[in-house]
Amino acid sequence: MKNNLKVERAIKNITQEELANQIGVTRQAINSIELNKYVPSTVLALKLSLFFNKSVNEIFYLEESD
Amino acid sequence: MKTKFLFQNRCKRIGWILLIPSAILGFFVLFFDFEFKFLDSKVFAIYSEMFVLGDSNTKIFSIDVNNITDEIAAILFLIGAIFVAFSEEKHEDEFIAKTRLESLVWATYINYAILIFCIIFFFNIGFLTVMILNMFTILIFFIIRFYYILYKTNKSLDHEK
Repeated sequence: MKNNLKVERAIKNITQEELANQIGVTRQAINSIELNKYVPSTVLALKLSLFFNKSVNEIFYLEESD
Repeated sequence: MKTKFLFQNRCKRIGWILLIPSAILGFFVLFFDFEFKFLDSKVFAIYSEMFVLGDSNTKIFSIDVNNITDEIAAILFLIGAIFVAFSEEKHEDEFIAKTRLESLVWATYINYAILIFCIIFFFNIGFLTVMILNMFTILIFFIIRFYYILYKTNKSLDHEK
């Protein structure tokens, strides 16, 4: 699974730290998601979707290997 | 995040305070037969057996005399290590929870891989020492791996904004 969290973050001009605080997770979690090292839970994906006001599918998308 | 089965964050500090002195004490007990003389005491033994050549001295459900330095070191170490290993982080989230679970799996594999190696290559009293250490190593491996991963992911943040 891939994501464009970093792009969304750039559009909103918000740092990993600020986003992490807003969502209530650690900065490590946001960083690991952006590096495609960690697949967030549905709850976290929905929180991010709510925060960026975009549907989950617009932020996260499947790769061929999934 | 709400967590199950974990101690509060402040238990971590208590854990380190118990773990460090008891680890040092345990080291001297195990490798230098150190004991505090004033801890010679009567203990209730469910089962106690001394290996003495030609003389078996087995006690079941009775009072025995024993120096309890090693028992105290082991118990304090285990409680300390459990607290250090399984207290919440200041900021708990699902990423930390996943790291914790993976570290536990990793520590279990490493611990038993080393034990299998020792079963093959260590014998008699040498193996007894291995078994004594093996009581504690799973927690030690877990603590090292868990905090190393947290440290490493924390460090990789320096390159990102």
